[in-house]
Amino acid sequence: MSGLFKARNEVALVGFAHSKVVRRADRPLGVTAVETARAAIADAGLSVDMIDGFVSSPLLPTSGDHQVEDGVTTVTSAWLSQHIGADPAYAVGFQGIGQLTGSLSIAINAIASGACDYVLFHRALHNPQGGYNDSAMSQARGAMQWAAPQGFFGAMPAIAMAYNEYCQRYGATREAMAHLVVEARKNGARIPWSVWNGKPLTVDQYMAEEMIFEPMCRLDADMPVEGVACFVLTSAERARDLPHRPVYVSGFANGYPRKNRTMIHWTLDDMMEAGDDLSARLWENCGLGPQDIDIPQLYDGFSPFVYIWLESLGFCKRGAAHEFILSGGIDSDRADSLPVMSGGGAIGNGRMHGVPQMLECYLQLSGRAGERQRERATTGLACHSTPHFGGVVVYSNDPG
Amino acid sequence: MPVPDEQSAPFWKAASDHVLTVAKCSKCDQATLPPDLTCPHCHSTAPDFRFVPVEGGARIRTWAVIRRSFLSGFKVPFVLVDAELDAYPDLRLIGQLLDGADAKLSIGAPVVVEFEDLAPGISVPAFRLKVAA
Ligand SMILES: [Zn+2]
Repeated sequence: MSGLFKARNEVALVGFAHSKVVRRADRPLGVTAVETARAAIADAGLSVDMIDGFVSSPLLPTSGDHQVEDGVTTVTSAWLSQHIGADPAYAVGFQGIGQLTGSLSIAINAIASGACDYVLFHRALHNPQGGYNDSAMSQARGAMQWAAPQGFFGAMPAIAMAYNEYCQRYGATREAMAHLVVEARKNGARIPWSVWNGKPLTVDQYMAEEMIFEPMCRLDADMPVEGVACFVLTSAERARDLPHRPVYVSGFANGYPRKNRTMIHWTLDDMMEAGDDLSARLWENCGLGPQDIDIPQLYDGFSPFVYIWLESLGFCKRGAAHEFILSGGIDSDRADSLPVMSGGGAIGNGRMHGVPQMLECYLQLSGRAGERQRERATTGLACHSTPHFGGVVVYSNDPG
Repeated sequence: MPVPDEQSAPFWKAASDHVLTVAKCSKCDQATLPPDLTCPHCHSTAPDFRFVPVEGGARIRTWAVIRRSFLSGFKVPFVLVDAELDAYPDLRLIGQLLDGADAKLSIGAPVVVEFEDLAPGISVPAFRLKVAA
């Protein structure tokens, strides 16, 4: 595969809905999903009977001891289409990490190929009872036997090691990371449905936090939450007749692991090498470059990922992301900044897995960001996960 | 506690004798750790890995100080080290540092693999800082 995306700007986002993001929900996730899907379909000016495609990624991403039950801890597209009373021709899900960009790629291709006309795209996140990643495992079998006996378990220790390698190699300070996290929470505090609405953070508060996975602290990870986001996609042609300004998909690229590693051992160099490769494919696919993007939304499920995306996508030189952030380069209140956290990201919204990034692109490019609306908002880009498991989708409101 | 399986049994047997081994593919003779279902180098579906002893010298690539363990049964704080084996720089091993949480570490610092005995016949690899002679 090479060259421009054949369906460049031919598939559009035409509506959305977002449930309130809460720490714990008082009703089943599936019920919230049905209501949010109905709201998104109405927002797009459509009715349920017109939706002939359902796409999602249902993963409950935890290493802890939790049972999976469709409609309760996950919501698959088949479950949703049945419970909303639709009669789809196409209901599929993405399996794997990088759920948002992975599943969105499926939805985009489905519209582009004509497999369906209107796709309800959703992501529903559940926060299970008990510690999110806690495990009472005493016997480590299979892939786990190579990691758990040493006390290497859950994503945070792995990311902390990769982040420490970055800090040691490039001289990044904890202050730089404080500025990133504070920026995410500042923007999240301005978003009505965010779990952190009205709750910004200060640099001092960040610095006072215990480093439970030194050099990372609790605030470097997004908080597990319960919430549902839905988007409606259709062809650019059909989008013309709908109420909101369409936001077109200009291209996308996803990345995959290449090296055999101990499970969850995500090394800095693996992520950076995958990032360089993914970036080259992405820019070729959408026909744009980093200098063309007005609203870059980088993934921050673990805060160090932002450094990797900033550098991999070419917004900063290798090793320079921390200095760029420290000097105010991502401050969304500055007109000349690169507002990579303007949508609040995962840290500012809760663990909505790439939804905040995608939604910020949609809201800004469709002119629906309200008080947060930025003047220059023609192109955007939304990442999820890391370059070696996740991906990037590029958007534009200019079909030319 | 690791539960050895058919493939990994020789690794854990050697570990119980405090010997570090790496898996070598019977088709391409290249080393890997941990062993995968297929060979990560030649992609053979029948790698029939042999576990060969390897010298325990390694260099620190990175580390993290763990103050909260998701798994029960671990005393915090402890340091997890990600080290590159001197004999196979491409192979990285993660283990606890036996020098305690306050040890002064740096990238490239030499360490040696030692083993922690968890139960009779069960030992897991860990690292100790190599003190300059
Ligand atoms: Zn081989």
